[in-house]
Parts: sequence; structure tokens; C-alpha cells
Amino acid sequence: MGRQDGSTRQVSADSVDSSTAPILHVDLDAFFASVELLERPDLADLPVVVAHNSLRSVVTAANYPARKFGVRSAIPLSRALQLCPSAIVLEPHFEKYRHYSRLVMSIFDDMTPLVERLGIDEAFLDVAGARGVIGPPGDVARLIRERVRAETGLACSVGAAATKFVAKLASGRAKPDGLLVIPRSETLSFLHPLPVGALWGVGAVTEKSLLGRGLHTIGDIAQTPLDVLRRVVGDAGGRKLHALANGIDPRPVTRDTAEKSIGHEVTFEIDVSDAGTLRRELLRQASQVGRRLRASGLEGRTVVLKLRYADFTTITRSRTLAEPTDVGRRIADEVRDLYEAVGAHPPVRLIGVRMEQLTDAGTNAAGLWDDDEDWRGAERVIDDVGERFGTDLVRPASLMKPAAELGPSKRRPHL
Amino acid sequence: MKFQVNRDVFSEAVSFAVKLLPQRTTLPILSGVLVDATADGLTLSSFDYEVSTQTTITADIEETGRVLVSGRLLADIASRLPAAPVHVSTEGSKIIVKCGTANFTLLSMPVEEYPTLPVIAEQSGLLPAEAFSTAVSQVAVAASRDDVTPVITGVQLEVSENSLSLVATDRYRVAIREVDWESSGKASADAVTALVPARTLMEIGKTFGHSGTISVSITNSDERELIAFSADKKTVTSLLIKGNFPPVRRLFPDVAENYAVVNTADLMEAVRRVSLVLEREAALRFTFTIDGVTLEAIGSEQAQASETIDGHLNGDDTIVSLKPQFLLDGLGAVHSEFVRISFTKTDNPNKPGPVLITSQSSKDQPGADNYKYLLQPNLLLR
Repeated sequence: MGRQDGSTRQVSADSVDSSTAPILHVDLDAFFASVELLERPDLADLPVVVAHNSLRSVVTAANYPARKFGVRSAIPLSRALQLCPSAIVLEPHFEKYRHYSRLVMSIFDDMTPLVERLGIDEAFLDVAGARGVIGPPGDVARLIRERVRAETGLACSVGAAATKFVAKLASGRAKPDGLLVIPRSETLSFLHPLPVGALWGVGAVTEKSLLGRGLHTIGDIAQTPLDVLRRVVGDAGGRKLHALANGIDPRPVTRDTAEKSIGHEVTFEIDVSDAGTLRRELLRQASQVGRRLRASGLEGRTVVLKLRYADFTTITRSRTLAEPTDVGRRIADEVRDLYEAVGAHPPVRLIGVRMEQLTDAGTNAAGLWDDDEDWRGAERVIDDVGERFGTDLVRPASLMKPAAELGPSKRRPHL
Repeated sequence: MKFQVNRDVFSEAVSFAVKLLPQRTTLPILSGVLVDATADGLTLSSFDYEVSTQTTITADIEETGRVLVSGRLLADIASRLPAAPVHVSTEGSKIIVKCGTANFTLLSMPVEEYPTLPVIAEQSGLLPAEAFSTAVSQVAVAASRDDVTPVITGVQLEVSENSLSLVATDRYRVAIREVDWESSGKASADAVTALVPARTLMEIGKTFGHSGTISVSITNSDERELIAFSADKKTVTSLLIKGNFPPVRRLFPDVAENYAVVNTADLMEAVRRVSLVLEREAALRFTFTIDGVTLEAIGSEQAQASETIDGHLNGDDTIVSLKPQFLLDGLGAVHSEFVRISFTKTDNPNKPGPVLITSQSSKDQPGADNYKYLLQPNLLLR
């Protein structure tokens, strides 16, 4: 939505009455790029993209000066460098991003218990209850922005509104480094001039069919009879769009379950057909996923295999276990079975392992026996060794190969 | 085909034949019941490649023949017929059912496409029906209902010289019981086992509960793994679940000197009451002392509850945290006025030792049966 370069920025004056806008959407500005720039303040005003410096990598993040050239995240790095040849490319550091994310999220937690995290760099907050303690939502939003800047050096944008959907649109309009309050009474006058593509749930296909019927703005949709909308985008979709266009969004801010999945994936420099190489890569990723689960005190119940072929078709295969696990060996066994079940396949461009349905370790009722008991003990010892002497010192024998032979040149942890 | 049959006999036979039919099936003909009128009587059968049923009843056969008709529809009709003889005949592809003042016309299904029912092997042994039926209801309660691990959705039957043991588990509890078994084949060197889907076995237990003696045939060859139960001219067959049942017998303690004896009904009542305030999936805390057993529901912010009932303790005071439904399943299965709850110890500090539930005919007298229900407690949270 929008151009993401701040050219349509819109912010509120401090005097706006925010009492009818208790839902905040807080979004860190150009998060990955900003974190990298904390250590390179000299580059702050120059175009910077965060990406692995490799032929086939994609842009992980871009700062605002780079976005002015049309660089966005997820476009190929080669394309980004065509658009902006002067861009400086920085390597991503996902551990750092997680660290800063935790710092920022803990500031949110100080404001209200009702925090719904959306990925690593944004969250919804319901601050209606903070009124007596901190003040009206506008004051809470200003306090969040001050504390985030003071405690991390990062900038964030905040949208405040009566509903989640409008709050998210507002934070987008406030970027970069702004606050936009949409009081309930101004919801429709804010929404209606916006393009239909800004509506939650309108993708490229829906947008095209709406535009094809002369529905260009959210206001157009609000004035279209529900029956007509239902014919255009289906029964459920029509009702949803009609509600959103009229400022109605009943979704509450729900306290979340931290991370929804933990996984790793790798794009190979050269597409891989050799099953042995793929199996070894799965084992390596499964071990890593197990280690991350244990480090976060989590267990996962669903194992997911992801394969992207040379032609970019992507398949996922998943299996749900009888009981959750944090044992890399178990994850490796399951994901290998999933891989074998795929059968013959085209060359693989990307391969990944992910655990879903995460729960806190130890909260699951213990069974009378544990199939993973031996491996669980062994892997905990390996974790200890890794902490003292460096990770990867102890690993499965099939992974004891020169790194160059393993192939993957860049690793893009799934966040 | 043309026959006349007693209304109650017919209704009971149809209801038996369709009992194990799947609710939904991909092949419509498998939802049919095969009606076969021969000189020997009227045979009704169903088969969905997993489970088959077959029963033969007496009928006046005027004209032999075979038809396939929707099983549930025929069962619904048969159970509602007035008290009068039932006349069934065919006219082309139609089946006419007449009974008293009622007339039904049903469309027959293509009988040629119906699969052949499995052939039942030689009898392996005989079971006392009532004891077997009770044992199934006691053990199957512990079977897993989660299809993620198919082997534990079954009840494992293990035949030894003169007893048959039934074992089921869902990882959190194990239930086990033995019943008498009269072997009819030549003594086989290998122990015979059969892993039967729990749902099917429960229906079998209910069906044959009053049949006196049940004949069992187990075919455990490589190409076909099948078990058949027969009594009263009724037969049920089921494919066996493939795979190895976990070795759960080793989980049971050899001796358990630390135990409490409690009135079963009192404990069940108290568990049901106190767990009213529990959140879903939460466990109840039980404190066993010389003064009795105290149940506490903790961990919910809205409400708490506690109750103390009488009990006799042998050995040390013990605190365990148990899922109420898992405990109730075990208590409901002991079928005795008192129940013995035995505690075991483990070396693992993160895993309390399992609790063993057995019957107790009086405060001091252990039950005569050999039913055992082993339950894994939750970790104590405080």
C-alpha cells in the first residue's frame, strides 16, 4: 500500500482528541536497515539496502533514502542496484534484530497487557485501560515513541484509531517517524479517499475486479450496495469489505503467543538436484531449529518442509506429531520422511524446515514414555558444549564436511 | 427374491449388520447391506474393506436371490415397522417391503460390484462373552483417539496358553486386563497378537455381551491380517492395525507398597465437583495423608475449590497432580466399591512416577480381577 517512501506522510497535532482512538498500531521504521545504521550513523542519509551480497539474493530491507529510488524489500538485489547504483549494501544480522525487537516489545508491555505482536517489528496495542495511569491514547503513543527512541535509538510510527484496520492504515500514513490519530468521528473521512487496494484483504486480483467495476476508493465501496459487492468478490469477502469500508472492524487486540513458528531456509547459489545434499541440508536445518526451540524454551508440534524449485513453484509438506518436540533429531527424522514422500522433483532453489504449533516447553502433559528421551539428553549436552566452545563444534557426522562442499552460500533464517 | 420374516428378528439383524458401517464412504455401494435369501435362511451382511458383519436368521424363503440396498435406510425402516410379519420381494431393480399397513419401495444397488466378504480362518479360541465385553469397556477407554499415531488407536490382544490380555494406551495412561481363553488350535510356539481398532472392538464388546461364548479367529499372515468374532450366528471381522504396539507392560511397577484405598463413588463424585472450576486441560491436585485425600483445583483466577474425603493410606504422604478425566476413566473402569491408588517413584526429577489404579473389593481386600490402569501424573506446579 502506498509508496512506502514517506512521500504521502500525514501526522496529527498534539492537540487532537485521541480519546476515541484507543487501538494503536506501532511499526518500526525500516527496522532492519535502521538497526544496521545504529552502528553506521555516517550512512544514515545515504541509500542503504540490507541484503546478502550475492547474485541471487533479495533485498531484506531498505532505508528511506533508498526507497526514494523505488527500492523495496523483497525485490532482487540486482534490480535494487539498477534502480539505485549508489546504494550501500549491508549484511543482515538477524540476532541483532531479534534483540532490538525484544527491547521494543518490552516497552509495549509496560503500557498495556493487551499487546498483539505482528512479526518482529510491529504490534497492535489496546490502550483504553491505560487512560488512568498514563493518559489518553495520544499520550501513550507519544510516550512509546519517546521511549523507543531513547532506549534503542530507533524510530517508529504510530497510528491510533478506533479499530485495528484503521490504526494500521494510520501508522502507514504517519511514516516515517510520525503519529497519526484518527478519532472515531473522523474515521470515514480518513478512509473514504483512500484507494481500494488499501483495504485489508484486497489483493491484486480483487483490486482488479473492483477497479473494473469503477470502484476506485474505499468511499466507492462504502456506497456500493452489499448485494453488488457480494456478486463481485463473493459472499464472505463482500460482507467483509463492506464492513471495513464503513469503518467497522470487530477484531479485538488479542494477547499473542509470541512466535508462531521457528524455522530456517536456504536459497542455494546453484539449484540442487542431489538428494544427498538436500538431506544433509535438512539435517543441518533441523538441528538448528531444535537448538533455537530449546534456546527459547519452546516445543513445536507440526513439522513443515518447504521446497522451492528452479521455476519458483513452491511446495510445503507438513506432519503433525503426537506430542510436541524440541529435539533436532526427531525434527530431522520427520522432515526427511516428508522429503522422501515428495518423490522425484525438479532441481531445488530453496529448501527450508519449520516447526509450527509452538507451545512452552514443559507445559504439555508428560507421557508415560518419551520416544525422544535419549536424543533430548544428548542434544542438551551439545547445547552446553556449544555455549562454552562455540556452536557447530559438535554436529552429526554427515555434516562433518568442508563448508564449501555443503553448498549453501547464504542463509536466510525465517523470522 | 421373495421372503417373509418376523419383524423383530429382521429389525435386530439389520441393525446389527449396519452397526459398523462407516458414516461416510467414498464408494456408495459400501454403504449398502447385502440381503441374501437362500435355502438355509436369510443372510444380511456389510463390508467396507475394513470391517465386515454377517448374520443369518430364519425366514420363509419363497424365492432365493440376492440384493444390495442402502443399509441405514433399511435399518431405519426396519426399526419403525409395525408389529406384523415383514414381506420382502423384488420387482426388477426395485425392492418392495410390506409390513401390516406399510409399504416401501427401495431402489437396489448394483450387487455385482459388491466386494466379497473376507473368508474366516480356522477358530483360534473361545472367550467368555460377558467377561470379554466388560474387559473391552475397561481397557478401550485408554486407547488414543488421535489418528496421528495409528498403532495406539487400537487395543492390543495378546493370546497366551489360557488367557487373552487386552492392552490399550494413549501415552498418558495404560489399561490392561486378562480374560480366560480356551485355545482351540494346536499350541503355537509364537505368541499370537492382534491389534484391533478400539472403536470396532467396543462395538464388538457391546454386540456380543450376552452371547455366552465367542469364537475368535486370528489370521496373522503377511498378506492378510484379520480377526473374526462369532457368536449366535453373528460374525464381525476387522482388519488389524499394522505396526508394533509399544512395550507398555514394562511401565508397570513390580511392587507398590505406597498406596491409598478410597471409596470409588465418593472419589468420583468429589473429582467431578471440584473440577467444575478447572480450566480446560488443567489438572487437579491430590494430597494423600493419613487423614484422607484432599482434592484442590488451583490455577484458575476466577474460582478455586477443594474437598477432603476419607481414605486409608499405606506408606508416605503423597501429592500428585492428575487430569480429572483421565482419573475418572480409570475409576469408572475398576467396577469395585473401593479403589486402590498406588504411587511409584522415578529417578527423573522432572517427571513424577506413574500412579496405578486397581480394584479393591473392600477396604482391606484387593479385587479378584486383574484390571490395571496406569496413569502418568502432571508435573506439580507448586
